[in-house]
Parts: sequence; C-alpha cells; structure tokens
Amino acid sequence: MLATIPSATLLGVEGRRVAVEVHVSSGLPGFTLVGHPDPVCREARDRVRAALLSSGLPWPTKRVTVNLAPGMLRKVGPGLDLPIAVGLMVATGELEPEAVAGCAFVGELGLDGSLRRVPGIVPMVGALDVRAVVVPVDCAAEAAVVGRVRVRVAERLSELVACLRGHEPWPEPPRPPDVACSALRPDLADVRGQPVGRTALEISAAGGHHLLLSGPPGSGKTMLARRLPGLLPALEGDDALVATTIRSAAGEALPPGGLVVEPPFRAPHHGASSVALIGGGTAWMRPGEISQAHRGVLFLDEMAEFPRMVLDALRQPLEEGVVRVSRARSSVTFPARFLLVGATNPCPCGEAGPEGRCRCSDAARERYNRRLSGPLLDRFDLRVVVSRPDVAHLLGGPPGESTAVVAARVAAARERARSRGVGCNAELPAALLDEVAPLTPAAASVLEHRLRVGALSGRGLHRVRRVARTIADLAGAGELVDEGHVCLALGLRAEVVPAEVAA
Amino acid sequence: MNERPPTCDPAPYDPALCDPALCDPAPGGPAPGGPAPYGPVPGGPAPGGSAPYGPVPGGPAPGGSAPYAPVPGDLAPTAVGLEPGLVPEGFVAALAGLPGMGHRRLVALLRRWPPEDAWRQVLGGRADDDPGLADLWCRAAADVDVEELWRRHLRAGVGVLAFGRPGYPAVLADDHQPPGVLFRRGDPSALDGRRVGIVGTRRCTRYGRELAHELGRDLAAAGVRVVSGLAAGVDGAAHAGALVAGAAPPIAVVGSGVDVVYPRRNAQLWADVAAAGLLLSEAPLGAAPEAWRFPVRNRVIAALSEVVVVVESHIRGGSRYTVEAAADRSRTVMAVPGSVRNPASAYTNALLADGCPPARDATDVLVALGLSTAGSGAGAEAPGDQRPSPGPIESDVLDALGWEPASLEGVVLRSARSPAEVMVALAHLERDGWVTSTHGWWERVGHG
Repeated sequence: MLATIPSATLLGVEGRRVAVEVHVSSGLPGFTLVGHPDPVCREARDRVRAALLSSGLPWPTKRVTVNLAPGMLRKVGPGLDLPIAVGLMVATGELEPEAVAGCAFVGELGLDGSLRRVPGIVPMVGALDVRAVVVPVDCAAEAAVVGRVRVRVAERLSELVACLRGHEPWPEPPRPPDVACSALRPDLADVRGQPVGRTALEISAAGGHHLLLSGPPGSGKTMLARRLPGLLPALEGDDALVATTIRSAAGEALPPGGLVVEPPFRAPHHGASSVALIGGGTAWMRPGEISQAHRGVLFLDEMAEFPRMVLDALRQPLEEGVVRVSRARSSVTFPARFLLVGATNPCPCGEAGPEGRCRCSDAARERYNRRLSGPLLDRFDLRVVVSRPDVAHLLGGPPGESTAVVAARVAAARERARSRGVGCNAELPAALLDEVAPLTPAAASVLEHRLRVGALSGRGLHRVRRVARTIADLAGAGELVDEGHVCLALGLRAEVVPAEVAA
Repeated sequence: MNERPPTCDPAPYDPALCDPALCDPAPGGPAPGGPAPYGPVPGGPAPGGSAPYGPVPGGPAPGGSAPYAPVPGDLAPTAVGLEPGLVPEGFVAALAGLPGMGHRRLVALLRRWPPEDAWRQVLGGRADDDPGLADLWCRAAADVDVEELWRRHLRAGVGVLAFGRPGYPAVLADDHQPPGVLFRRGDPSALDGRRVGIVGTRRCTRYGRELAHELGRDLAAAGVRVVSGLAAGVDGAAHAGALVAGAAPPIAVVGSGVDVVYPRRNAQLWADVAAAGLLLSEAPLGAAPEAWRFPVRNRVIAALSEVVVVVESHIRGGSRYTVEAAADRSRTVMAVPGSVRNPASAYTNALLADGCPPARDATDVLVALGLSTAGSGAGAEAPGDQRPSPGPIESDVLDALGWEPASLEGVVLRSARSPAEVMVALAHLERDGWVTSTHGWWERVGHG
C-alpha cells in the first residue's frame, strides 16, 4: 500500500517541500530509502525502526520502499524521520489516511520514540502549503512564527498516534515565557569618557556606516562595540522574519517570543574560517556569521589577526548585502546586510602611536598592518582612534548618556533617511547626494582643500558626504550640510592604519 | 693543536689585478693623472710576497688630513679614486669578515703585524693566543679568496680605511677604541671640518623630526658636518636636513654593511648621503643590521663628533650609548628640551637635568663649537611666520593640543569642547599649517 506525507527540507536558509512516499508490499522483508538523502537522512531507517518498536507500534515484516521526492533535491538532516514513520504507519494500515490528510510532519525521532528539535523549522514550515503541521514540542514557538499554518505539537510518537487516531485531544503548544531579556543588554551609560568613541558609535548606528576602532588594549573598543546593537532600531516586519529564518536555519535557539526583533550581534573569533564567516559547508549549506548578523552588527575583534583571505571575502557581501555561495552540488544566496564593526590594535604590541611606546620592529608592524587590505579599509566610513580613558573618568565623572536617550536620536535620524527613500544614509546613491546633502560654502571649501592636497579621493568624498549627512540628521539640522558636520566626518575617517606602508 | 697548512697562499699578486684598467670600478673613474697615491708598481709583485707598500709601522697616520687627494668634484660613490690592485686594505677587509672579529681584536692584530702578515698568521693558525679562536679564524680564512673579495669591494665602489694605514682618519687613530677598519662610500675628505653628531630615537614624534631636520639644515648651512646614523626617525631627519642645506657634506656611520640598506625606506636618503658626503661602516660588506652592531656604531659617531646633540630619546633608548661614549671622550653633549609628558623626550630632559647644555636651535650648537657668539633666537616668535593667526576657538584648541601628539579624543577631553567643534578648529588649523595629522594622531607644527 502507498502513503504520501508532505514535509520539507532545508537548502541554505530556504525551505523546500518534500513529499515522503512510503510503499509497502509483500516480498522479502527489507527497507530501502531512495531520493538523494544525505548520510544523516539515510540513518532515518534505524531511528524510525527503533522509535516504532519503543512506542509499542509494529514494524512491518514486508518490503518497504521510501522515496523522498523530488529526487534531484538533496535532503539534509534528520527532519524527515517523523514523516517517514507516519507514512509507514499509514501504508501498513496502523493509521487511517484521513487522519493525516492535509497535515505535514517535521521532526527527528529518538530511539525511545521522542520527537526532537531540528534546525530550520521557520523556513521549512514557511515553505509548506498545508493546513497544519506537526512539529516536536520544542519547536512550537519557531513554527508559530510563520502564522499561516496551524501548529500541532507532540512530545512522543505514541502520543502523536493517539492524537491522530482521535483517542486524545491535541496538546496545547507551550506558552513562551514572558521575560524581557533586553534588560540584560549592556547600556551606553556604562561607558565613561570616550566622547569621540561614543559619537562615532551613534553616527554608525544612525547612518549604517561601518566602523573601525583602533587603539591599545584596554581602551574600550569591545565595550563600545557591544553597545551598538542596543542603539539600532528593533527589527520589524520582513526584516524580523528574515532574521528569524536565518537564525532558525543556522540551528540556533530563537528568543522566547519566537520572532527575532533585537538586532543580532555576532562576534566570531579570529580563528574563524571563511566558510564559517561567509556560509556553506559540507553537511548542509549553513548560513555564516555574516548572514546571522543580517540587520545587526558583525563585530570582528582583533581584526588584523583574521587571515587576510577571510577578511577579503567580506568585500563582496559588504557591497551587495547578499552573499552567493556556490558549490558543486548547489548554489545558495544568503542575505547579509550587516553593520561591520572592526577593532584592531595599531601594532602587535598595541602601543603604537606617535608617542613611541611601541616595542615592535618596523617589519612586525608592517606585516601586522598588511593583513587589512586597502579596499577593505576603504569600506569603513568611520575610522576612529580610541585611547585608554583617564583614571579620573573611570573612577568618578558623570555617567554618559544612556542607550535609550541615544537610541531615540538614532531612530529620528533613521526616520529622516527613510524619507529620502533609503534604509539608512550609507545606502544613499552618489547621484542623489547633491540633492539630499547640499553643502554650505564653508563646508564645500573644506572638502575642496582636502581634495586639492590629495588627502581625499573621489570615492572618499562620497563617503564623507554620507557621513556628514548622518551627522547633520543627528544634530537635527536642516537640509544643508554645515562645515562642522563635514569636518567631524573627516575627523572620524582617520587613516588609523597605514594602508600601504612605504617599503 | 693541528697545524694546518695554509690553503690560501697570499703571494704572489695576480698581475691582472694590478692593471688599473681592469680594476677601475667605473669607466672614467679616477681622473687622468694616474691612480691613487699608492698605486701598484706595474707588473711588479714584490718577491717573497711581502707588502710592496711598506706598512706604516704601528700607530696613527701622521698628520690630520687624509693623504688621499680625491678627485675634485667627483663624488659619485662608484667613481671615487679607489686603489686598483690587491692592496693591504684588501687583507684588512678580509680580516674584518672573520667570525668573532670585533674592533678590539682587529686593532690588536693590526698593531702587531702589517695587514698581509696578519692574514698569513691567521692562515697559519697563529694569529691569537687563544688556540680555539686562532683555529676558528684559520678554518674560516681557508675559504676566503682575498683577491675575489677585494674585487667585490672595487666593483661595489666601496673603499676601505684601515687602522694604521694612510688615509685613516686621525681623529679615530687617536681614539682609545678605534675601529680596525671603516668601509666607506663617498668622499673621505668630508671628515675635514667641524663635525656635530645629531642622534635620537627611531620612534620620534613630529616635534623631534622637525627639530632634527632644522638642526641638520642650519648646521650644514653654517659649514658644520652633520654626523649621524641614517636610521629611521631623528637620524634620518637630521641627514635629510643637512642635504637640504646643500652646503657641508653629511657623514653617516651605519650599523649594517654599506651595501645593506637599513631601514629599506631610507634607500634614497642613503644614496643621497653617499653621493653628497660620506657613508661609513665598521661592518663588512653584506653584514646584516644585527642589534649588537648599533651600540658599537654609536661609539664611532661619538668619536667623530665634537659635539653630540640628542634630539629625542626614550629613557632606555640607544642614544644613551652614544652619550656615554661621548662622555668617555670628553665630547660636549647637548640635549633638545621636550615636553615632560612626552616619553620620547624623557632621556633628553634627564640629560638637561644632569646639567647638559640645551640645544634649542643651531645657534646654541654653533656657540658650543665656538663658531658663533650670538644668543639663541629660540623662544621668540619667528619673524618669518607667514601663517594666518588662529581664531579664538582655534587658539584654544591649539593650546589644548600643546606640543605632544594627541588623538582627536585627547584634544576633545583637554579642550572640553564637542567633537564637532574641535574638528572644525583642527581642520582650519591644518589648512593654515598649524597642525598636522597622521594615522589619527594630531601634532602641532613648528614654524618654518
């Protein structure tokens, strides 16, 4: 007898529909799984058999063939265990076909018959075109994010069979705990002193400008960077759904409410490989750190310690907001629109600067700085030298503005950017700059002088004007961009790392 | 000990080497009028292989001035009148390249034997009382082809000033730690005149670089030879200043071989100094800039200088070796005052506290040399300052910046103004030439 159960698998961050066909016939007892399963998926046979037997359900002594359609698509992970088990029961007559009509199943089976969480529930459920879906109880919140599909949960296979047979009512999905975890986020008020660092952080958040912090160890680079996501506006609508989808596909836990609304903050260690950063992988096409930082902050601490190849792989996604990962088997596009914050020491010992405390050799410094390529440095609109704060500021001194105060200014500035038809000022097209960011004569003369002495390139000019626009927006100034805004934009774009050290 | 037969027989000379036409490093090198004063006897190797030029028996060359007769106006490093043929200097160069050969051992050898005999003693394993060292030298010398080595010097346009030979600078011959050999590029007559050493840290601030440049320029313009080390930072700036003046030739004493440019970025300066003045080194050709060579080099700078000016140095910087060597030789040490908060001025300020006279500008140094009686003009506003005077906010920011380098954040904190305000002021000041920024650090620019 034949049964077909709808389910889904994961390709990158997208869900793909899969029809699980189970055919049971007389003949030599055996179990065949076809339809391009990956090794994990192929192991379903043993998990399903043990789960059925542990749950007191019969394992047919017949010939069983399971086909995962479409055959061209590679099926990854253990999420098809549950539909295979259900299909088998329907095909052997344990369950009536009507009991499972219009219902999809996703989940991994334990040998004891329990249902286990699988990554990528959000995109997989989103891809289904059925009325209801049965997922493991741990995935209830994730599946509910999609909204369109009725979510049913089960804890064990035996419980699921009882519900499907109508012997027992479906259990209610567990209610997510209402804890506001945002209270735990670091606040900007903790940062003492650092007026320039704070200003740069605010501008970066308001305009979506990538930020590079350079300074000796202990100067508060990491402290500043960790406070940036709190300044960004909460994710809404599609952005939140995409961020949730990516996090789900990466197999990471979702926040209690299910939907990701807080801008993500990702800080990969500098040992990260380029696949970990960009995405891909051998088991399945997993979104990388840059995609998991989508609409949030990607923080690269000790940036010069990253292999140069890994860093240069960031250049294309920085420009395009998406990253295309192509492999022999498949090609996947991941969203990757993130705010890049880099932190670096000026040299291996961290003390370089004109004060001359550095103890590194010229060659060591040169090698260290060569890791950051010129084109990558050019992507940073804001490049700031931070220094160790004064003892007086650390011990006493008034606390700075809190995150809430600054976030309100950032939100207002972003609102002004949206009125120009872009998400943030960093996305302003160069052609539009004359219209939306006209310069006062004094501001124009400052830029002209910089261009004339060769301290500014044509592309740099556009970047400075975008930052100046953001500064003006934050200051609540009018349409005109003033001299002060331009000068500050120039001052926050220091050549903190010599791009090309003279040989 | 094993008696090794000499494997490299120093006698006799290859006649080909004695042909000036073959040995001349550059076509049209030595001016017509013949080869250098001690040119070889044509085709005449002395029988028995002893040096045909009669070594100056122990002790310094008589008279202060070099008996060199350099070709007037012909200062290109490859075209200086080099000795063709295998001369005693060739053996000194070979001796200098032996392992464990410091200046003391080399001088001791040269005091005991003429260069060629010394080489023969080395080959015979009898050159030192310590049998281990003598054996080490003997084995190393066995692989050395002195003629080929000397040809390399000729090809590279490198001359050799050997202790006890004519041409060796008198001021060094009288020293208590004279260099056994000095490899040179450029004109040795550059040493004739008043000489001032300008030294300091490689990791200097802009202030230090400016001061070194001004001192080098103004002293050279006054006819004083600037002696320095051609290193990054203060040394290089002093030489660059001396070259700008285009008057007195600069003298550089470097720590690596004269053909090993270090640091690489000073390659142009290195060539310019060799062309306009004199480049000296105790290290043999191809010697890497090893750390131990620099303190040793510093004593040569001190010995060559009548006055040593320290521009900027950290408290444990290499300049203190130069200062100690200068004090040993009763040379005057002067120091450029700096901010007490600037770690790069810590040593110079300590020198001033110990009673060194301050060097505020070139006039102070010229007074110390007895070349000028005028008081220093330092401290007074330079009359020639063409820069527009800063506005009220700009003056405030300039005061906050002071004479130490500061990041934007430093200036903002010191001036208690908003970052935007400070940046506008700094942009104006930079446009008018009052301040400059490198790698995110702001520094005040002196006049000029």
